[in-house]
Amino acid sequence: MSIYNFKKVQVVPNGPDFIDIVLSKIQRKTPTVVHATYQIGRIRQFYMRKVKFAQDCFDEKLEQILTDFPKLDEIHPFYSDLMNVLYDRDHYKLALGQINTAKHLIDNVAKDYARLLKFGDSLYRCKQLKKAALGRMATVMKRQKDSLAYLEQVRQHLARLPSIDPNTRTLLVCGYPNVGKSSFMNKLTRADVEVQPYAFTTKSLFVGHMDYNYLRWQVIDTPGILDHPLEERNTIEMQSITALAHLRACIMFFIDLSEECGYSVGDQCKLFHAIKPLFANKPTLLVVNKIDVKRPEDLDDERKALLDEILAQPDVTMVQMSTFTDEGVMDVKATACTQLLASRVEMKMKGNKVNDIINKLHLSQPVARDDRDRPAAVPEAALTRVKYDPNDPNRRQLERDLEKEQGGAGVFNVDLKKIYMLDNDEWRYDTIPEIMDGKNVQDFVDPEIEAKLDALEREEERLIAEGFYDSEEEVIDEAEQDLRDAAAEIRSKKDLIVQAHRASKGKNRPSIPIKARTSARTVEGLQTHLASMGVGSDAAADRARSRTRKRARSESRVGEDIVRGDSQAPAKRQAVSQVRDRSTMGLRNSSQKAVAEKIKVRSQTQSNLLAKAGESDRAIKTKMPKHLFSGKRGNGSASHR
Amino acid sequence: MARAQFENSNDIGVFSRLTNSYALVAIGGSENFYSVFESELADVIPVVHTSIGGTRIIGRLTAGNRHGLLLPNTTTDQELQHMRNSLPDSVAIQRVEERLSALGNVIACNDYVALVHPDVDRETEEIIADVLKVEVFRQTIAGNVLVGSYCGLSNQGGIVHPKTSVEDQDELSSLLQIPLVAGTVNRGSDLIGAGLVVNDWTAFAGLDTTSTELSVIESIFKLQDAQPTYIVNQMRDSLIDT
Repeated sequence: MSIYNFKKVQVVPNGPDFIDIVLSKIQRKTPTVVHATYQIGRIRQFYMRKVKFAQDCFDEKLEQILTDFPKLDEIHPFYSDLMNVLYDRDHYKLALGQINTAKHLIDNVAKDYARLLKFGDSLYRCKQLKKAALGRMATVMKRQKDSLAYLEQVRQHLARLPSIDPNTRTLLVCGYPNVGKSSFMNKLTRADVEVQPYAFTTKSLFVGHMDYNYLRWQVIDTPGILDHPLEERNTIEMQSITALAHLRACIMFFIDLSEECGYSVGDQCKLFHAIKPLFANKPTLLVVNKIDVKRPEDLDDERKALLDEILAQPDVTMVQMSTFTDEGVMDVKATACTQLLASRVEMKMKGNKVNDIINKLHLSQPVARDDRDRPAAVPEAALTRVKYDPNDPNRRQLERDLEKEQGGAGVFNVDLKKIYMLDNDEWRYDTIPEIMDGKNVQDFVDPEIEAKLDALEREEERLIAEGFYDSEEEVIDEAEQDLRDAAAEIRSKKDLIVQAHRASKGKNRPSIPIKARTSARTVEGLQTHLASMGVGSDAAADRARSRTRKRARSESRVGEDIVRGDSQAPAKRQAVSQVRDRSTMGLRNSSQKAVAEKIKVRSQTQSNLLAKAGESDRAIKTKMPKHLFSGKRGNGSASHR
Repeated sequence: MARAQFENSNDIGVFSRLTNSYALVAIGGSENFYSVFESELADVIPVVHTSIGGTRIIGRLTAGNRHGLLLPNTTTDQELQHMRNSLPDSVAIQRVEERLSALGNVIACNDYVALVHPDVDRETEEIIADVLKVEVFRQTIAGNVLVGSYCGLSNQGGIVHPKTSVEDQDELSSLLQIPLVAGTVNRGSDLIGAGLVVNDWTAFAGLDTTSTELSVIESIFKLQDAQPTYIVNQMRDSLIDT
């Protein structure tokens, strides 16, 4: 769990890709159709949007790069130095700086051209301005080609860096090449570092983890370092130096007394003294490796003196081991961990953070407040029970096993009643009546209910026999009978009216307005209607128009001309039964007819246009006209193009 | 001593209740959680599947010890019946009409002493004393009124909220008459009651619990013959540096 995770940096596209991404995004996400006939404001706005959108896209992507990449001044000095060693601080900062400048340049271009577009006076000019704006933005990005390529490489390398937590308990393994650092690492952790019998097998830092004393420890394997001045060190060695300089770790300086690594003890000791300043205030172990070949005791005096010189330093302990025979490896680990832990604890105890955990280290022991004994209640069975072993053939069958047998989770239904402790095991699966408000049906059962029901039934029979329920005949007097008859009549009449109304409503033909329905209103009709209502009809019939009016043709009427069918004076006398022209039916005069004609034409326009036979013609000749369903626009999104 | 998870949640104390004479386990989607308890306990005490008021958070809703079990007023009659049938007759079961119905949060108890939320009813307090056969003390733990959430107790020892002051810790220890230590479970969680269920011979902790936390638990509850003094002696360095 490291706070330094550089794996999340997003891919940096190279120069041309970058431009392609943005341009295609503009094409996809902004409107594409504009016409010269549009209002100029609309045209300007159309192109302005494109320019602004381009700026946003570039901004967003560049900002992403700037925020994703770690800032050297803000990360832990270890990482900042490591990045300096690996990627060169100046180059890195320059690249990010250039990206930042590019962002500002693009902003300025967009601002300028948005301003210019306000004065664009035609579609063509606006378009040229947009083209120029995008072109200039692309040029700016094209110049960043190298920065982007460099950053992409840095990103790929960063993502592969081991996630080292600079603040946790760390064992740092260092020394000359080939002294057995990586072998030790492999013994302690599961990191599986490559071990080869040549120098500089390990070319970068490797990290592994192990558990010791309830804690998690980080072991860092470093590339071998040679003894020469700092300025001459190469990148591989510098990684080791960085780790040594910045990590508060237990330094394990490996030394190979057998000189099988190809470097003399003298050289190795010199290296120790050269990098000694980096070990200040850190627990340091001088790990003598390969003791299966040569032990410190077997050394000649000259070399022994060199070794003793190192051991004379304060805070340096010598430990011995052989990663080949495994002799002493665990002792070395224990010594290293104990020393580091002790130094870290000492450091923490000096700080004021210790007050937060002082209570975790405090064990409160009770002060007796009475002489009651409060023993633990451990059942005998708990002490004697055999520990559950999943490999034991006679093991207890768990619900989990049952579940697996019976179809797995979701299918298996657990038997809740299996463990019931009842007086009689046969009761276990008995149905319990539903309980509600603390009662169930059983609580309401009256033992004498049968007898009571019987008694009730017998009483009922007796009452029936006695004629208790026989009621007297109802007498209806005459007035009430009349009232009822009238009510029945009213009801049936109402029903008829409703029926007639409904029948007249649902018809599928044009209805003639009541005013125009003159033919339906005859004097006879009026008379029968009035008669049925019990009103004298003679006076009304005399007032009827057909009676009062004189002969229709004898007088000319003023102000209106009657609609006529074919000609005013038919050449031949028509038979009475001949059908009148229906187009004039129900129309009062020619102006009304003209209006009707107009309405008719208008209502037929659409169906004529679509070559329909009439209103009812719903035939679709071609289901998917090719021209509507092909091309760039979304299928079927428009009815014409 | 085992680590478990209830359907990807480390708060196993929410979904189970463990005492010296029975264990209650929530009914989950699968039997994995139940079987963790079953494999450790079923030979010794009944391990009972149950829900409380139709919910699975039975650990937070119930309180109990060797002598009895207190259930909130949301418990249905069917559940009560089921529990009565499943638990031995020596365990008294009582439904409590208490406004603070998450009894597991407001009551922390072992077989002899109970700490309760300062605001529980006087009547409830009496019921607790009678049913669980304990002395009842109204207390807070590190300023938290939900005493059940912030501590884990057995007859052998107890863990309290990591921010409990040393004085409070000593006072609680004298009330409970057991050794106490401040600690965490589930990689630094202060909700001890949610992350840990414990009785006098075994304990279950959330899957995230670190080995340091586990060994503190093991020592303070004297599981597997460990002794609480181990915490202050051998484990001191590890505790400081975590």
